[in-house]
Amino acid sequence: MIYKGKQKIWSDYQKEIPDDHWFYVRSCIRQNFFPASEVTFLRILRDELGKDIYETPHHTTCGGIAYHQECIPQETQMTIIARQFALMTEAGYENYACSCITSFGLYCETLETWHEMPEVLERIRENLWKACRREFNIPKYLAHSSDLVYKFRDEIAEKAKYKLVNKETGEPLKVVEHIGCHYAKMFPSKGVGGAEYPYVLVGMAEKWGGNVIDYPERRHCCGYGFRQYHVKANRGYSISNTHKKFESMEPYHPDFIVTNCPGCPYFLDRWQYVIAEQTGKTYGGNGYGIPVLTYEEMAGLVLGYDPWDLGMQTHQIAVEPLLDKIGVKYDESKKYEGTGGKPLPEPEFPMNIRCC
Amino acid sequence: MGKLYERLAKDIRIKEWLKACMNCGVCVSVCPAAEFYKYSPKNIVNIVQSQDDEQIEALLKSETIWYCGECMSCMTRCPRKNAPGQIVMALRSLSIDMGYFAESEKGRQQLPLQRALCGNILNYGYCVYPRTFKYEDHPESGTIGKWIGENLDEVHKRLGSNLEQDGPGVLRKIPKESLDELKAIFDVTGATERMNTVEEVSRRKAEEMGLDMDEYCKRAFNYVGEGHTLE
Amino acid sequence: MAKDNVVVIGGGPCGIEVSRNLRDMGYTPILLEQQSELGGHLRKWDRLFPEGVEARKVLKELTSDLKGVKWFTDVNIESIQKSRKGYTVNVDTGMSFETKALVLTTGFKLFPAENKQEYGYNIYERVITNADLEQFFKTRKDSRIQNPKTIGFVHCVGSRDEKACNRQCSKVCCATAVKQASEIKEIFPDATVYCFYMDLRLFGRSYEDMYLNAQRKYGVRFIRGRVSEVSEDIDGKLYVKAEDTLLGKPMKIKMDLLVLMTGILPGDSTRPFAEMLKVPTGEDGFFTPKDTILEPCVTKEGGLFVAGACTGPKTIPETISEARATAIQVHKYLS
Repeated sequence: MIYKGKQKIWSDYQKEIPDDHWFYVRSCIRQNFFPASEVTFLRILRDELGKDIYETPHHTTCGGIAYHQECIPQETQMTIIARQFALMTEAGYENYACSCITSFGLYCETLETWHEMPEVLERIRENLWKACRREFNIPKYLAHSSDLVYKFRDEIAEKAKYKLVNKETGEPLKVVEHIGCHYAKMFPSKGVGGAEYPYVLVGMAEKWGGNVIDYPERRHCCGYGFRQYHVKANRGYSISNTHKKFESMEPYHPDFIVTNCPGCPYFLDRWQYVIAEQTGKTYGGNGYGIPVLTYEEMAGLVLGYDPWDLGMQTHQIAVEPLLDKIGVKYDESKKYEGTGGKPLPEPEFPMNIRCC
Repeated sequence: MGKLYERLAKDIRIKEWLKACMNCGVCVSVCPAAEFYKYSPKNIVNIVQSQDDEQIEALLKSETIWYCGECMSCMTRCPRKNAPGQIVMALRSLSIDMGYFAESEKGRQQLPLQRALCGNILNYGYCVYPRTFKYEDHPESGTIGKWIGENLDEVHKRLGSNLEQDGPGVLRKIPKESLDELKAIFDVTGATERMNTVEEVSRRKAEEMGLDMDEYCKRAFNYVGEGHTLE
Repeated sequence: MAKDNVVVIGGGPCGIEVSRNLRDMGYTPILLEQQSELGGHLRKWDRLFPEGVEARKVLKELTSDLKGVKWFTDVNIESIQKSRKGYTVNVDTGMSFETKALVLTTGFKLFPAENKQEYGYNIYERVITNADLEQFFKTRKDSRIQNPKTIGFVHCVGSRDEKACNRQCSKVCCATAVKQASEIKEIFPDATVYCFYMDLRLFGRSYEDMYLNAQRKYGVRFIRGRVSEVSEDIDGKLYVKAEDTLLGKPMKIKMDLLVLMTGILPGDSTRPFAEMLKVPTGEDGFFTPKDTILEPCVTKEGGLFVAGACTGPKTIPETISEARATAIQVHKYLS
C-alpha cells in the first residue's frame, strides 16, 4: 500500500462544507436502530461545537427505502424531497444535511436530474403546489451528516478524552471503514474522497488515533440490497454478501468497523450473529464478534461519552472488548437499564458468540 | 421499436442512464446480485437496448429483474456511463404498471413490501417504524433485537428518542397535517394508483393460485423457490 | 543554393523523419524538442511489435544521420507569430526562427494510470504500466516485479472509457499487450499470464501471428472482459475482478503483478498550440487536419502541417510513412 497515492486522490476530492447553519433531516433506519447516534450527533454539533442545526417536527421520511423497492414511483419520491426542501426554505436555511445515506444518494440524484432536465423540476414544483401548496428553493449545499463530523474532526480531537489506541500496547487500533454505497458510488464528486477511496471516515479515524485497513472486499456492499433484506425469502443474498466481507477482512484482525450509512452497521452487526449461530464462526477473537460502530458512536467514545448513552448496548456484538482496549470507563451493571436507573430484564444470550 | 420499449424510453431513468452497452462486463464483476443469483446486469441492458418487445415482455415477467439490490456499484464503473441499476428500476416500475410483476415469485413480493413500507409512510411518516418491526419477521435482529422489541418504550426513552411524542427528535410523532401532505403527494404523483394496481393484480393472482390475500401475502414474503441462486 | 528554413516542433520519430526528408530535399529543417534528448517515447521502449525489433536500433538509425538538420533540445516555444510571409517561432533560449512552413509533430502522452483510480496505480504496490514494463525489459530492474507467478494485462486503461474522459480506442495497446505478455513469459516461463481485453484490435500484417504465438507458444490466456476493480490483500497480492463475458462468469483472480495498458492521449502541448495557431481539434483533443482521408497532414492554415501521433494514435511505421508524406506536402507548398 502506497499511502501517498491515496493522499493524492483525497486531495482531489474535497467538497465544500459550510461550517454552520444547517437544516437537518433524520434517517428512518438510524432512528429505528441507532436512535442514540442521532442524539449524539446533535449533542456534538450543538453542545460541543455550538453550531446551529435546525430540525422541524414536520419533516418525514424521504421515501427512499420504498422507492428503492419500487413501492413508490420516482415522481412521488422527488415530490417528497421537494417538500423537505420547502420546509428548509420556509425555515430560512440554505444548507441541507441528512442523516441517511439512501437519502443522500437520492438528493444527489434528484438534483442532478433537475439540473439535466429542468422540465422535470417544473413538474415537481407543480406536483408539490397541487399536493401541499408549498414552494421551495434548491439547497445551496448538500451534506451527509458524516461530512459534518469529518469537517469538525480536528475540533473533536482537541476535546477528546480517549484516542483510538490500544492503551496496553500504545498501538493504533485497526479500523475497518465501511461507506454506504449511495454515498459516492453514484456521484463520486459528491463524497469526501470520491468513490474508490472515500476519505470521510478515514479522516476521522486517523485524526483520532486509529489506523485504517484496506482489505480486498472493502468496496463491496454490506449486503442490504433493500428488498433482498426486507423480504424474508431474499435474505440469503444479504447474509452471503456480508459474509464475503467478513471473510475478506478477517486476516487483518480489525478492532472495530465504522460506518457512515445507517443500515450497514445494523447488517454488519446482526449478520455476524446469524453467521455465528448458523456455523459457529466468529470474527473478533476469543469467541467475540467485531464491534460495528456508527461514526457518531466513534466520535462519542473519543469524546468520553458513556457507551450506554451512545446506545452501544443495542448492538448484538459486544463492544466491551473494544472499550477495554481503549480504556473507556463504563459500568457493566448499567448496560441494560431503562431511564432513571430502572433495571430492565436482561436479554437472552446467543449460543455461539460471546456477549460479555 | 415496440410499444413496451416506447413506454420504457419515457422513463427518466432510461433517458438518463441507458446510453449503449459494449458488453465489457465491469458491472457484472462488482455486482453483489451476480455473486448470489443467476443474474447479469449486462444481459438486462442488452435486452433493453435491443428494443425487442418480445424479449422485454419476457424480462418484465421474469424473476431476473427482482434480483438487483440497487446498491448502484455498477453505476460507478460503466465506461459508457450506463447505469444498469437505474435501468432495472425502470423495468420494475413498468412491470408493476403492466401487472406483469405477479407472474414471478420475486415480483409477487411487491404486495407484502408495499403493504409494509407504504403503510409505514402513510400511517407514521417513516419507511421503517419500530411498532411494525416484528421480531418474528426479523429473527436476525438477534437476542438484542428481541430485547429491544420487548422493552421498546423504555429502551427508546433511555436512548433519548422522542418516540410518539410531539416536537422534534428521534421517532417523534409526525403531525397529522404532515401525514396528510404525504397522502396528497401519493395521490398527485401516482403512488396511490400504483398501490391500487399492486393490490388489484395481486388479488387476481391470489384467486388464480387458490389463496386468500393473507395467505398469498405471507407466502410471497416467506417462500423461496428453486433455481434462483448460483449453487 | 540553400533553400528555406522549415521549423518542425517535436523531436520524436515523426519530427526526426520529417526533418531528415526535408533535409534530403535541400531544405534547412530546424527541429525543436522540449526534452533533453531526441526520440520521444521511442527512447523509453524496449522492443517494437510485431517482430520485436529493438526500439534502440530504430532510434539509432533515425538519429544516426542528422547532418544538415539544425536540432535543439531543452527548448520551449514561447510564442509563434503568423505573418504574411509565414511564421516567427520564438523559443525560451532567446532564439527565434523565421519559417514559411511550420510542422507540428508534438506527439502524444500516455494516459496517467492513477486517474483510473479503481486499478490502484501508485496505491497498490504491484500495479505497473505498459511503460514501466518496457523500462523493466530494458533494465531488468523494478522492485515491484519479484518473480511473479500470476500476471495480468489490462487492456483499455484510459481508452474507450467515458469515465476516464477518453472515448476513443488507442489502437496500439492491444498489440503492445500481446507483445508484452509474450515477452514477460519468456522472462518468467512459469508464470500464468492473462490478458483482459474487450475486443482484440490487432489489425496489421502478421499481428495475428503474434496473437497465435502468444496463445500457442507462450500459453497466454485471453479473457474477454474489462477489469472492474483491483484491491490488495494482506500479503500484498492483487485481487482482480472481471467478468469472463464469453462464459458469463464473474471471476476474482489473485495476481502478483498487474500491467495497465495505458492509452494514448493528445500531448500536453496540443491544446496550447491549437489555441496559438488556430488549428481545430476533435472532441478527443487531437489536431484535426483539413481532410482526414486525402490530406491528413495538411491544416486549413496555409503553411501549417501536422503529422504523427498528434493527429491520433499511430504505430511507428505509420508515423514514419506519414512523416515522409508530410515532407512532400511541405515541399509542394514551398515550391
